[in-house]
Amino acid sequence: MSTPMLEIRNLHVRVEDKTILKGVDLVVPKGEVHAIMGRNGSGKSTLSYAIAGRDGYEITDGDILLDGQSIVEMEADERASAGLFLAFQYPIEIPGVATMTFLKAAMNAQRKSRGEEEMKTPEFMKAVRAAAGDLSIETDMLKRALNVGFSGGEKKRAEVLQMALLAPKMCILDETDSGLDIDALKVVSQGVNHLRAPKRSMLVITHYQRLLNHIVPDRVHVFSDGRIVKSGGKELALELEAEGYSAFDEAAA
Amino acid sequence: MTAPNTAKRTVHLGEAENTLISQLLSAGARGAADELAASGLPTRRIEAYHYTDLKALLGEVPAIAEEAGQVGPPKFRVPGAYRILVANGRIQQSTTPPNGVVVSEAGGSSLTERDDVLVMLNHGLVEKSLAIGLENSVDPIVHIDHRIAGAPAHTAGALRIEVAPGATATVLETFSGSDAAHMGNQGTRVELGDGARFTHIVVDLSALNSRHFHTIEYAVGANVQLRNLLVNSGSALSRTQMFGVFAGEGAHGDFSGLNLVDDGQHNDITLDVNHAVPNTTSQELFKSVVRNRAKAIFQGRIVVSPKAQKTDAKMMMQGLMLSEGAQILSKPELEIFADDVQCGHGSTCGELDAQSMFYMMSRGIAREDAKAMLIRAFVQELLDPIEDEELSEALSGVVEEWLSRPAKSPAI
Repeated sequence: MSTPMLEIRNLHVRVEDKTILKGVDLVVPKGEVHAIMGRNGSGKSTLSYAIAGRDGYEITDGDILLDGQSIVEMEADERASAGLFLAFQYPIEIPGVATMTFLKAAMNAQRKSRGEEEMKTPEFMKAVRAAAGDLSIETDMLKRALNVGFSGGEKKRAEVLQMALLAPKMCILDETDSGLDIDALKVVSQGVNHLRAPKRSMLVITHYQRLLNHIVPDRVHVFSDGRIVKSGGKELALELEAEGYSAFDEAAA
Repeated sequence: MTAPNTAKRTVHLGEAENTLISQLLSAGARGAADELAASGLPTRRIEAYHYTDLKALLGEVPAIAEEAGQVGPPKFRVPGAYRILVANGRIQQSTTPPNGVVVSEAGGSSLTERDDVLVMLNHGLVEKSLAIGLENSVDPIVHIDHRIAGAPAHTAGALRIEVAPGATATVLETFSGSDAAHMGNQGTRVELGDGARFTHIVVDLSALNSRHFHTIEYAVGANVQLRNLLVNSGSALSRTQMFGVFAGEGAHGDFSGLNLVDDGQHNDITLDVNHAVPNTTSQELFKSVVRNRAKAIFQGRIVVSPKAQKTDAKMMMQGLMLSEGAQILSKPELEIFADDVQCGHGSTCGELDAQSMFYMMSRGIAREDAKAMLIRAFVQELLDPIEDEELSEALSGVVEEWLSRPAKSPAI
């Protein structure tokens, strides 16, 4: 078996004196899409922040390996350059930074840290236009300040655009369906599905089964009280939808 | 300058005061010397100097500046500008002025006398002031390049800018000099004729061990559009005090400033805007970015006179603290004596937003670069209204220079 894209071993994470993740074990092989489902407050978002390396998310035990390499000692930007991407549940508005400027800074920062040459403007513009077209993003939107005044759908499309341009190995999608109407959900899901590839894996975090009709996972994991309590095929999502999370709380106890 | 009512006791004079008194006497300013001897430099007990206790902070006063030798190229340069080089208080170099610009000299300070030690010193020490008449719209930026050259020197200078009714012009004043513990005391009086459109940019890039004082007055006529922007990134100790008076109806003023303050610096911006007549508006936006153990001060007062109905004035101060030990002191005040007005003020202060930092870093942008991007974004609002691209670029250059200064202590 080849090295998994993401391997989480016995992960314990503390945020401000509170232990939130209590021993997460998870293996996402290359090319697979896994879903993590759990109710609000179960620690799903903490998991995504801990993987991405947010300040203040202290790993007290365990390890996270990206393509066989431990990333827990890395800064968030180093993890990104190593191929990790987190699509935010609530993308941050950054007034005064034009979306284009931001995209170029991010792409070139990653290239630089990998020892690659920086992208020239015409090449960059071409790449952005192509990716934006696939997601029906108006170029006008890219001239605006990053996420400022974007609708919920625009923000999520902008996240997928960033994902397409940065071409990560491992994508974490945190509640990508929140704030989306059906049409926007379709566009975003198509964008994500378009990025599925044998050398790219995804971890889709959600608390509704709805998203998984559009982005069909290979495996589903149920999250409760800071750990994975059950894993199964995509039919597990339907089971959850039918029985509710409480049926799985027993397993956590 | 009168002694405060509460302090009847004899003032102990320090070395700085004694030097200033002898300099005033040498310049023949007996009255000013006597006043300074009676009251001393202002301390924190004087309200206007509460945050900038000159008695404690001024330090050694260098000798009055001699005529400067040849000075180097400007630190701040706008291509195409008409530049007048003033070194150690004297015009050193100017070419034929562009159409509409009249350059002359006048006796004494250009400032209005007022109860303020910096103004009093300026009056006592300035022999000749520079006068710039802008008689019609002037296309090139008029750049007054103030320098203090050579060994530590005390320079007092004054400038009068008169903008003719209906004229459009931009004047840039920059302050820089040799790397020595200078003390500069500049006065600038701007008289704006009715309907003038005037932009005044003031940039302090003085050596990081020098003291810089600048008093600016704006006499604003009817229907004037005034925009000012201060950018401070130099000096160990600086105070820029602005006094604006709206004397004609229908005028609007945008007053703005940026204090970029690093280790050991103490930069004070003090603003006093007086809406003296009805139907005038003003907007004040001041930002401070402070790194390491340093202090940025903004005192802003808007006064609305009893007859100044329909005044609309909004003042905002925003501070960004990048380190433990950074201090931002902000005192916005409104004094409103008319009843049909719209006035407001706000003051916010904080660190770089942790969520924004994480978001940017999660895209691969390194911590220091993410910080720099957020700081640029924070100050950009002040630079956006500057229409002249080359001027705007030069101002961005000041921000970039400040950002690239080596870090002295770990930031938060």
